[in-house]
Amino acid sequence: AAPLARSAGAGGLAQWVLVELQGEVEPRQSGGLAGSLLGDLHYTREGVPVLIVGHHILYGKVVQLEKPFAVLVKRGAGEPGPEEPHARYAVTALIKTKLLFKTRPKPIITNVPKKV
Amino acid sequence: MRSRAEVEATLQTAKLNPAELLPVAHCLSFGPQAGAGECCLLQLEPGLCAELEAGRSLVIRGEKDEQAVLCSKDKTYDMKIADTSNMLLFIPGCKTPEQLNADQASCNIIHSQIAGFSNNYWELRRCRPKLKKLRKLLMEDPYDSQKDQTLTFSKYTTEDLLSLIQASEEEILHQLQVIGACKIEGYWRILEFDYEMKLLNHVTQLIDSESWPLSKVPLRTCLEELGSLEPREMIEHILLSYGRKYTDDAGEVYFEMREDKICRAIAQMLLQNAVKFNLSEFQEVWQQSVPEGMTSRLDQLKGLALVDRTSRPETIFLLKVEDLPEDNQERFNSLFSIREKWTEVDITPYIQDLCAEKQTVGALLTKYARSSMQNGVKVYNSRRPIS
Repeated sequence: AAPLARSAGAGGLAQWVLVELQGEVEPRQSGGLAGSLLGDLHYTREGVPVLIVGHHILYGKVVQLEKPFAVLVKRGAGEPGPEEPHARYAVTALIKTKLLFKTRPKPIITNVPKKV
Repeated sequence: MRSRAEVEATLQTAKLNPAELLPVAHCLSFGPQAGAGECCLLQLEPGLCAELEAGRSLVIRGEKDEQAVLCSKDKTYDMKIADTSNMLLFIPGCKTPEQLNADQASCNIIHSQIAGFSNNYWELRRCRPKLKKLRKLLMEDPYDSQKDQTLTFSKYTTEDLLSLIQASEEEILHQLQVIGACKIEGYWRILEFDYEMKLLNHVTQLIDSESWPLSKVPLRTCLEELGSLEPREMIEHILLSYGRKYTDDAGEVYFEMREDKICRAIAQMLLQNAVKFNLSEFQEVWQQSVPEGMTSRLDQLKGLALVDRTSRPETIFLLKVEDLPEDNQERFNSLFSIREKWTEVDITPYIQDLCAEKQTVGALLTKYARSSMQNGVKVYNSRRPIS
């Protein structure tokens, strides 16, 4: 049996947010994703999330999840692999909200340099 | 790290009006461990989120050859991977518009690191706890006080059972009570049936010789009179199993004996000695065998014995639901190989335990059986040929 230990401190579990995007995420430069920028996230005054990724603007909506998620982090030794439920897991956070970006991205047409 | 100026410049390029936006912006980047696949998502069924927030834990149970289940304190769930065509990014410290409005912060940037991403998550579905294994483990070495205990190697503590059985703790403890298991020297044991009947017989004989009412059997006297024959814990255990404990105003402990359970056990004792019995002969012997003042009735034998009203003479035979397969389809196959056509009344005790949370016996029959009319009575048979 693998207990899902709580890795958060006494204050309770952290609340994270889920961002749901269409398609796949690929690194812009070689060397993997770690450390690289995804984009800027803004909200309109009406609370509509706006994500600027590369040359695209994505409009989304804030969704309260009917079924929240728990984020599990694998801990300790064991064969790597996404479908290894017998490994030890810790619940590190809860997710009750997601930012869903379903609309087709609007391309940003630029003919001005990006740098200020 | 991106600066306010860079963010403003991007907004300008994108032709977005900062006046229409909240002053705070997030710069999202991938954290150092983001691509490592160390994080995964578990979709929570109602109630589980509250349990986690209350500080209770969830446990994944299952041996390598079993499908993993997730257990809360009192429920069991099947786990399944669900794929999504979208990319799910999980981000600590990312604020929602509500939180930002409540905060009234100045124009600044929140640098949020994406902890991980995935295109699948674990989905949960409430399921029946897998408890057949519990009886199987305890039956490896049933307890009898006459048996040499030093030869026992197959013994299980509560902790052992929790790690081996795919069920929640409460479901396991409840089932231990249902099957009449008891804790002896820290280990859960099930009694050898003959030994259990021997204990019961001591008690019923004493009730008879003392002329006690069946509803007022004193614990203290039982222990005094029978303590020389059997361990006191066993006397008390049999009283707890076959009676309802209560305390009178004077603080004395009594038991109200359970007629149905006692009659049922005696029937099992009689029926296990042959393949089947002449029904009327059995009913006569059975009534004579139960304690004075108790009435034996066929409805006490649901899930224990089956009556065949088509044979001449009518017969009865032992058929214990706990000996049948746990899997739905296998259970129905087994029942239909014992008898081709069943009435709903006859089959219900043998499929009742298969019902999921809000499922009815009728729904199970619709799914796994085919109905027809026979002599004006609705009967069920197999959907597929049984060899």
